[in-house]
Amino acid sequence: MGSELERIKDAVVAGKRDQVVAIVQEALNGGLSATRIMTESLIPAMNVVGEKYSTGEFFLPQMMIAARAMDEALPILRPHLAQGNYKKKAKAVVGTVQGDFHDIGKNIVKMMMEGAGYEVIDLGVDVTADAFIKTIRNESPKFVLLSALITLTMDSMKKIVEAIDHAGLRGKVLIGVGGAPVTQKFANEIGADFYADDAHGCVSNCNRLTA
Amino acid sequence: MESRERVMTALMRGQPDRVPWIENDIEEFLQISLMDGRKDYTPGELCRKLGMDAFGYHFPSGGEGTHTQALQTKDSIKDAFYFPKKVTFDFVPPWIAEMGVVPETGRTFIKKPLLTSRDSLKLFDEFLPDPDHPARYELVAKWIDKYREGFAIFPRIRLGSASMFESMGLETFSYLMYDDPDLVKEIHRRFAEWSARVVEHLNELDFDFYWVNDDHADTKNSWVNMEMYEEFLKPYQMIVAKALKKPWIFHSDGNLFPILEGLLTLGMDAIHPIQPSAMDINRVKAEYGDRVCIVGNIDLNYTLTLGTPQEVEAEVRDRLEKIGKGGGYMISSANSLTDYCKLENVWAMAETIKKYGKY
Repeated sequence: MGSELERIKDAVVAGKRDQVVAIVQEALNGGLSATRIMTESLIPAMNVVGEKYSTGEFFLPQMMIAARAMDEALPILRPHLAQGNYKKKAKAVVGTVQGDFHDIGKNIVKMMMEGAGYEVIDLGVDVTADAFIKTIRNESPKFVLLSALITLTMDSMKKIVEAIDHAGLRGKVLIGVGGAPVTQKFANEIGADFYADDAHGCVSNCNRLTA
Repeated sequence: MESRERVMTALMRGQPDRVPWIENDIEEFLQISLMDGRKDYTPGELCRKLGMDAFGYHFPSGGEGTHTQALQTKDSIKDAFYFPKKVTFDFVPPWIAEMGVVPETGRTFIKKPLLTSRDSLKLFDEFLPDPDHPARYELVAKWIDKYREGFAIFPRIRLGSASMFESMGLETFSYLMYDDPDLVKEIHRRFAEWSARVVEHLNELDFDFYWVNDDHADTKNSWVNMEMYEEFLKPYQMIVAKALKKPWIFHSDGNLFPILEGLLTLGMDAIHPIQPSAMDINRVKAEYGDRVCIVGNIDLNYTLTLGTPQEVEAEVRDRLEKIGKGGGYMISSANSLTDYCKLENVWAMAETIKKYGKY
């Protein structure tokens, strides 16, 4: 059983989706629980991918195909997970802030958060404070993750944090910020709960705050 | 020394009379502010007012129209090629993508990349204008004759890599690298061959150098590793690189260190913008300064946009003294002078260059 979990993990890290799907099916048929496959193979695999990306060993395409390999295993696991005791870690809302149309960083964060076992609601780019607030009210996420690529839109980030405050939702969500011009200092100034300099750091922060 | 000679000396890694100042772009709103609200100035007037040594990009006096072609797509770029209403020095292929427009600013952005399958290759015919159509080249040639003065002049082009990344989307690009590598190569080849054809025409005009804009990286890392670069990018970039008959500056945002050795084999004369949040310019100078001219590094994330004039002066002075030492450096922002740069900071940059830029 241990080796099967390892094989799935290795196949995800290598981005070999056909292998992942085949071994996951084989493992389920052999009686391995979907929860174990999720928590002992897929999530740890994406953690390895995140670390490798963070240290510069992996590049974007390698991370993308690993995430895709995991994604393709999920439809097979999902019915079993629903029956078992598997629960997603928490819900997170991600979006690139109003006035900013860059989505690469935000998409990487989404991918790594999903890979780490979070449910992610992606609001896309150019997201207004109102859209964040509406989603917080409707979805009750634990995290709101704001992305900005250009200095100009860091001001939107500040306004969104203020709007969440004014809407009285501050105690209900934790706000994370990131993106090329964003710094820890800026995060402190606008009252964000955490800052991360890459997607792996964002996942680590969320894990720390979820534990 | 005239501006043109100053720029060309630095481009060849020599030491001119002072560190040249050049910019890849100055957004028109900022240009107009720098010119005290005027819209009828010549490129030379703007250069003289700032103390800048080169021009390309676009000016309000070039006529009405979209400010830049960099983000144009199907219909607008065909219009700009066949019936140009505005003089710009941008000769880049359009994004093959569905575009969106921000109503307040008119800025365009990519809503949906369209090169996602073999079937989508037919879009090249639909989107790319005829690179041999003479209208734009003739218009720009007249402008160069009229406004050249003693400045260095450049057009902006692409190797085609950015066109590929943006028209495919990084996700599709990544998947197809593994699922259908030949399709990725075909897409890059088609963009590169279009650019190479454009370059054949530009080589005949009185330009001094090319500014070749192809983003390959984010602040963390380049989007591909060296092995991927060698297989998927370099052979097609080389098609354009070989067509260039004048010196050229290569531009990509982000951290290029993982593929820089590969990029340099294309034969560029300079590299820009050495984004401070992504690359240490001292390392670039120490490791590559004897092989390529360095352009850029004045921070846009904070210094020019949020900092004080004193902070701008300190940063500009530091680069002039350390990176300018011995020549082979041109000062520039770490991308372009955007509308959201503080006006007083741009003036602080200009003043500092005048004060401390002399060798």
